[in-house]
Amino acid sequence: MRHGKYPFIIGFLAVPVALYVTFVVAAYLQTFQLALTDWSGLGPITYVGFDNFVTMWNDELFWRSVRHNLVLLLALPIITIAVALVFAFLLNVGGGTKGGITRGVWGSKFYRVIFFFPQLLALAIVAVIFGRVFSPDESGLINGLLPAGWGPLLFLADERYALACILAVLVWQAIGFYVVLFSAGMGSIPQEIYEAAALDGASRVTLFFRVTVPLLWGTIQVAWVYLGIAAFDAFALVNIMTVERGGPDGATSVLAMMIYRNAFEFSQAGYASALGVSLFILTLAFAALTLRVTRRDAVEL
Amino acid sequence: MTEVFAQPELDRRTLLRRAAAVGLLATPAASMLSACVSGGSDEAPEQAEGEKSDTNPLGVDPKAPLEVIIFNGGLGTKYATDVHIPSYKKMYPEATVNFSETTEIGKVVQPRINAGDPPDMVNNAGAGLMDMAAIVKAGQAQDLTDLFNAPSLDIAGKTVKDTLVPGAYEQGLFDNKPYVLNYAFTVYGLWYNAALFQKNNWTLPKTWSEFTALLDQIKAAGIVPFAYAGANAPYYMYLAILTSAAKIGGTELLTALDENADGAWTAEPIKQAAAAWAEIGAKYSDRKFAGLRHTEVQLQQNQDRVAFYPCGSWLENEQAKDTPKGFEYAVIPLPSVTGADKLPQTAIYAAAGEMYYASSRGKNPRGGMEYLRHMLGKANAAEFTKLTKVLTVVQGAADGLTVSPGLTSGNELVKAAGSDYFGYRWPDLYKKLDVECQAATNELMFEGGTADAFCARMQKAADAL
Amino acid sequence: MSNVIEAPAVPVASAGRKPDAKREVNGFSALAHIALFVWALATAGPLIWVLLSSFKNNTEIFLGQPFALPESFSFETYVNAWNTAHVGRYFLNSVFVVTVSTAGTMLFGSMAAYVLARYKFFGNRFLYYLFVSGLAFPTFMALVPLFFILKGFGLINTFTGLILVYIAYSLPFTVFFLAAFFKTLPVEIEEAATVDGASHTRKFFQIMVPMAKSGLVSITIFNIVGQWNQYLLPLAIMQGAGADSKWVLTQGIANISTSAGYQAQWSTLFAALTLSILPMIVVYAIFQRQIQAGLTAGAVK
Repeated sequence: MRHGKYPFIIGFLAVPVALYVTFVVAAYLQTFQLALTDWSGLGPITYVGFDNFVTMWNDELFWRSVRHNLVLLLALPIITIAVALVFAFLLNVGGGTKGGITRGVWGSKFYRVIFFFPQLLALAIVAVIFGRVFSPDESGLINGLLPAGWGPLLFLADERYALACILAVLVWQAIGFYVVLFSAGMGSIPQEIYEAAALDGASRVTLFFRVTVPLLWGTIQVAWVYLGIAAFDAFALVNIMTVERGGPDGATSVLAMMIYRNAFEFSQAGYASALGVSLFILTLAFAALTLRVTRRDAVEL
Repeated sequence: MTEVFAQPELDRRTLLRRAAAVGLLATPAASMLSACVSGGSDEAPEQAEGEKSDTNPLGVDPKAPLEVIIFNGGLGTKYATDVHIPSYKKMYPEATVNFSETTEIGKVVQPRINAGDPPDMVNNAGAGLMDMAAIVKAGQAQDLTDLFNAPSLDIAGKTVKDTLVPGAYEQGLFDNKPYVLNYAFTVYGLWYNAALFQKNNWTLPKTWSEFTALLDQIKAAGIVPFAYAGANAPYYMYLAILTSAAKIGGTELLTALDENADGAWTAEPIKQAAAAWAEIGAKYSDRKFAGLRHTEVQLQQNQDRVAFYPCGSWLENEQAKDTPKGFEYAVIPLPSVTGADKLPQTAIYAAAGEMYYASSRGKNPRGGMEYLRHMLGKANAAEFTKLTKVLTVVQGAADGLTVSPGLTSGNELVKAAGSDYFGYRWPDLYKKLDVECQAATNELMFEGGTADAFCARMQKAADAL
Repeated sequence: MSNVIEAPAVPVASAGRKPDAKREVNGFSALAHIALFVWALATAGPLIWVLLSSFKNNTEIFLGQPFALPESFSFETYVNAWNTAHVGRYFLNSVFVVTVSTAGTMLFGSMAAYVLARYKFFGNRFLYYLFVSGLAFPTFMALVPLFFILKGFGLINTFTGLILVYIAYSLPFTVFFLAAFFKTLPVEIEEAATVDGASHTRKFFQIMVPMAKSGLVSITIFNIVGQWNQYLLPLAIMQGAGADSKWVLTQGIANISTSAGYQAQWSTLFAALTLSILPMIVVYAIFQRQIQAGLTAGAVK
């Protein structure tokens, strides 16, 4: 059985690892190095030790951005996973049992196609669309629907709600993919389990919490980590949608936005790299923590 | 189809280089980094040079290829491909001019600068433009002194510098040396629909009390009297505030901002101007504009939902397609805030903008400078204005051209101002301050901020530079 | 419900439960349908908006009712998008690049994920986390170093370079997700194959890949969508003399949209977007069947 194992492993890993190390790891390693310099993005480089990190520690906007990232980090996965699970359940199992086969609600094929639409749109255009949705005057989709006297709501122009608006768009875009993901997972749950549960008279709510969720735990964990990582980004939306790009007055600033501005607008590539390193560490810490906390082995089928 | 799928031919050298690179995969990043970003400090590449002569004052090598990169934005690229490049090629038929365009100048040019292979002439413009001060500091921009002292392309007996409107040359100075050409000439003021004002018999204000009285009238007519786009263009607004400040207290205080002098932001005139405008924001505008983009606000003005809009003279061209029949763009200078303003009411903010520079470390810096000389030729500048409806810094180049009503109005503004026009550069010099000022301006105008808080906030940010 | 079998077990309980279950089914179905329908509207609405806007002028787009019909239907904007903005050429470029790179991503990604998920060897965890950590960095941090790396290989402004980079930057998510997926697959069949003397490579291609079909299909779609919408990477790579003939669709659209900000050609932008989204929807609708097949394949033990 051991025969040929190592040549096989090396053969399978050589190309992907080579590509990855050359184009991704090497590029990122340089960022780590640049974090220790005062490079402007052009011209000569001077090493300045950990100066950038000291500046960062004292940078108020940095801490605000981290806070916003953390808010997104909690809210985005919870909301997205909850909604996507429910939808996936409805689409796959929600129609009840007919002839011993559980199936989705009527029209589930249609919904499955529609729900995926947001994934097909580039984030830049999503931002343009939601600019109209959240427009603070009567022409805005939401303000236009509000009864007279209620609005107009300022949405992105209001410090209190701006971040929530960004969150809403992130959720809107993410759900489709996780519906597909969870559907795939639910499809691999054997019919017999549902049948047995149905025989025991389990309601669909019970089915959902007692059968589907535990059996999908591994997939949910994957989704959680990935959404968490997506929450650390959120750059494109903040960049295109928000007032003053990260405003009003820093109310939607996130780390990626700060990195981008420092690297490309403020000519502080060194500082931007330091911010990048901190983002990297935060993301990894989150991923490690999640994997540890949720380590509840997937139910073996 | 075949073109799409054509792969570049692998010559032997490329293959060898790739093989070597694969072997180097494990090389520590350290050596890679030093090899990569050395473009700025190492010796410049071999640069083309030719014989100087009367027709070739900059000593261009007539055979050397020239690479030009143009930002594709509001001005398009037609003026380069149809006017300036042919003009260069006419004089140097043996030279090939490689033209490329991009919407993201910084992301395209910055890596090439670092690789030691910058394009010869760069149009540094658009939302993704590079920090010009950083480029100069890194020694990447060619000193343009020779260009400005060279004879003009088609105005006999004058140097290039002599042909420019006052202030245009100074706008490109870094440490008293010219490194960049600001080509377009823009006039700022309050834009309105002349037809609408005529219909309502609204008289144009000269003093602040006339201004507020008119705004009351407009408000009573159910139109938002004044607006700017808080979402992405608060700088139109801070430009208006600082214009008022300069009119109150003189242009020295703008110079102080450019020099980041101590307490520059807390100067009394800035406070006065901020207070006056804050009142306009609170009484005659609407908070919803804090969340709207320039496109949206400008369209609202086209529909007569907004009366006054502070902007530069590109506005009319930008809105050309959406301006309804009967809408007539016109512009007035900002009303005087006090009865004792230092500058007359006709004083305006007018400045050269749209940066073009030659790369000092490119292969053909002389060609790059020569290209700029062709841009500054009077006939070529006139063609530019025809194509883009934007004035250039070449004095009188647009004379005799039939211009649109808005541009006529803008020209009248310039004439009325005489020598009383001014500008500042601090947003280009201190990008972080620009960002801070946009937020501070929105706070002042829409969030009930005070002039004191505005000045204190800006001073704090300026002190932190 | 199969109360024929159920009845003998607990007759009393069954009799009492039946009407309950019925009511639950109706209420539940109604709620489910409402929820699904509302979400379908929320996802399809913006696309319809894009389509309608492609026929409108700027005033209608930004000041009018979002879902009002345009004043006139003219396909001029589509002709413009196709001819002057070269959407057709960029579309073909995108199709070519994404086809090759997605194929490469799936091949190399699944090979690496499989080995990392199911073989124990020295360095396994290290490589796994090396791949996963790639998720923690914003792509734009890598742009400048990446340019140099590609320049070193002579791959700037080549489709080869773009494809290799697409593959490399898609590997983290692909490996992360597929490794989790391969782990959940049953070991029995694989063991049986080993006993039958199948080589490792054959086991992968003939047994594991078919079993992992549903996961592979999901990730393939995710990669196609991700690479199709990629903007920053081609921006950094496809540049230099004559690069605009090799641009991909996102670059072409960004070119229109940047101009739109100044010259206000929003309807052309939306026409170009419609042209780019429609094929994606068609492809997805077709893939939808494959997913169903994949799910069934995954469910059969």
